Amino acid sequence: MEHRKYNRKAYHAADPADVAVSQAIFNDMWELFVQIGKFWGKTEVVEDLRTDLLVFMNNRIAMDPSYLYDYKNASEVIKELIYEMGEEKGYESLFTDKSILDDPPTTLKARARQKVSNEFIVLYLSLGGFKDYGAENSLGYIGGANIKGKTPYRTIDK
Amino acid sequence: MKKQVDILIIGSGAAAASLSQRLLEKDPNRSILVLEAGIKVPMKDYKLYQDYLVTGTYPYQFCEDLNYPSIFGNGENVPVGGNQLQLSGGRAMMFGGSTAHWGGWSFRLKPEDFQLYTNTQIEGTIDWPISYDDLEPYYGQAEDYIGVSGDSTDQVPPRTTKYPFCEFPYTLEDQGTIEAFEKLGLDYAHMPIARHGISDTDSPHAPCKTTGTCKYCPFGARYFAGNFLDEMLKYGSFPNFEILQGAIVDRITMSSRSKATGAVYHDKFTTDSHTVEAETVIVAAGSIEAAKLMQRSVTPEWPEGVGNQKNNNLVGKNLVSHPFVYWEATLPENPQRLQPEMDFPTFISRHFDSKEQQPFGKFLTVRLNSFSDQFNMTTNNQVSTLTKAMQTGLNREEIDAVTTGPLNVQLITQVEVFTKTSNYVSNTAPNVINHLGMQETNVHYVPDSGFENRLDQIQTLLNPVFNEMGATNFRKASDSIRADHAACVTRMSDTPETGVVDKDLKVFDTDNLYVLSNGSFSSLGAINPTITLTALSLRLGDHLNSK
Ligand SMILES: Cc1cc2nc3c(=O)[nH]c(=O)nc-3n(C[C@H](O)[C@H](O)[C@H](O)COP(=O)(O)OP(=O)(O)OC[C@H]3O[C@@H](n4cnc5c(N)ncnc54)[C@H](O)[C@@H]3O)c2cc1C
Ligand code: SF4
Repeated sequence: MEHRKYNRKAYHAADPADVAVSQAIFNDMWELFVQIGKFWGKTEVVEDLRTDLLVFMNNRIAMDPSYLYDYKNASEVIKELIYEMGEEKGYESLFTDKSILDDPPTTLKARARQKVSNEFIVLYLSLGGFKDYGAENSLGYIGGANIKGKTPYRTIDK
Repeated sequence: MKKQVDILIIGSGAAAASLSQRLLEKDPNRSILVLEAGIKVPMKDYKLYQDYLVTGTYPYQFCEDLNYPSIFGNGENVPVGGNQLQLSGGRAMMFGGSTAHWGGWSFRLKPEDFQLYTNTQIEGTIDWPISYDDLEPYYGQAEDYIGVSGDSTDQVPPRTTKYPFCEFPYTLEDQGTIEAFEKLGLDYAHMPIARHGISDTDSPHAPCKTTGTCKYCPFGARYFAGNFLDEMLKYGSFPNFEILQGAIVDRITMSSRSKATGAVYHDKFTTDSHTVEAETVIVAAGSIEAAKLMQRSVTPEWPEGVGNQKNNNLVGKNLVSHPFVYWEATLPENPQRLQPEMDFPTFISRHFDSKEQQPFGKFLTVRLNSFSDQFNMTTNNQVSTLTKAMQTGLNREEIDAVTTGPLNVQLITQVEVFTKTSNYVSNTAPNVINHLGMQETNVHYVPDSGFENRLDQIQTLLNPVFNEMGATNFRKASDSIRADHAACVTRMSDTPETGVVDKDLKVFDTDNLYVLSNGSFSSLGAINPTITLTALSLRLGDHLNSK
């Protein structure tokens, strides 16, 4: 019975084919990721990270298909904010509005912040964004192995 | 149908994994059955890893005990003697056991630990029936097996072999602590840590890449017994090695006072009961469950449960673990923007883990991650100051101020406490079942009346360290005791008057029943137990192989 579909390893009941993120939503999410870098970073987010973001989003969706709707929601929330305040202020509002940190989130803007933008922040930092703030390694960053003379974090000898 | 095997091992943690490895190295065809109450949780899964990264929830959390019942909600287990020793978070009941969430701190006991009673004359304590020298060769083998990165020149305690991998250098965050320790003439050392390094030989274990998410390592670089068992099953060519999951052992069976014949277990999903017959039975179910299983195994010859001698009923008694005490102080500024760059500590001190301190409760000192004064995140290593600052919406200038502003520095101490028969674990009524389908636990743990006083002494000893660092507002942030290092409940001794197992871990008065867990330690010392457990396991393997 191994071949039966009901034996498939699953985190949820959705068919993976039904829950793929569209190119348009991904482009919007990539823009959000770039804006995180612009707002907090001192160096620009490089194009190479597109794949990391896509893998991350697909992994989140694979764990819980409701992320598909969260990414769609984030895209719509951002469009509205930009329409209302312009690009810079729109993103700033999403990133810094202290009134949308209620747990669990109760508005669509709060959901966009907590389920999407704040998660992207973790990804952004784990891909090296922390380096602008002084460290050589950080939680989630694949710093590399412990090789003598090439320690992947700040040591007392460096 | 009855299953018949040569060796039955109950539990699939580090004890079971290292023992079966040693037995199968000698005879790959040996029939070994491992019965594990828990189930397998996927490891090295990138989706689960990223989920842990962003949420801080690790996928095997459901395998831990719930909190004790309280006014805030339903829970499980019964804190009989007050609410002192927490089970929740203190063990993982799953394929591979508690090393799923261990830190990998890999210390050996010191020679004086084996002579606790001789050195201190404290009532209720005993000496180990073996010495440090007896265990020393096995410590080296255990470090090789687990894959410890450490400083091979460190001779405290003495060692005759090298660690398999070199030590992780001190981080920049360690600097202030090191300078303070040096000024005060206090000893310190590198953390011996169970992280694989780069090796010249072929190894199925990836080296640590310092990602700092060790509670769920995406590469399997931190030792986890479940990964090792998986590899044995996949690549080991051990045709008669089998592990059953969801197999909860209800009792050990005996045909006489001296002969164990196997065990009865039930399938947690179907509830069907099964019998296994075995030549040798090893209880490797973790300290607490091992003791409870023995208490449940009542036979005509063992009316109080196997291992319980008539006059003392020691199985389950003498419960100890380590109080973890967090000490904090605040540095006025952080010009180097010190922040956690690693998920595990690199600086430790065994200065007060000494023969001089032994009568009062010796203690290990470890430097933990520092964190910005702005956020109350003492023990949460998962979220960095930077993450927290960005997620709460601080802008770049504000974050610059936070990362260079006041910094909380912390040391943790792990204190030895002494065995007393009045502290114990036992089974609740048979029908009181936890969320994993296992019988719940009564925990009776009352700390010594002098413990608060000991904390004051420790504070006095550490005060100069924080002073030298220039940190102010030195304070005890918290102290708690959890089952992480629960031990001594089936302790090893020279005689059944004071212990449950002999120096070969064999239950007194039996021929073929062994208890392999931290419960079999005669005393706990001030350090984390797993390297000692693994050394005992490999020694037991040699003992069984020589039979
Ligand atoms: C948070 C945390 C951090 C830790 N960090 C460190 C550290 O840094 N260094 C260190 O040395 N130690 C550490 N420890 C301790 C370490 O995890 C244990 O010493 C070690 O895992 C014990 O191994 P074990 O095989 O004896 O038991 P376990 O790994 O607990 O395995 C026992 C297994 O037996 C199974 N079982 C129980 N009862 C039954 C039954 N009736 N039938 C069938 N199966 C059963 C359980 O489900 C479990 O899987 C830590 C522990 C915790 C909780
Ligand atoms: S720091 Fe090392 S052990 Fe920890 S998660 Fe990363 S690779 Fe694994």
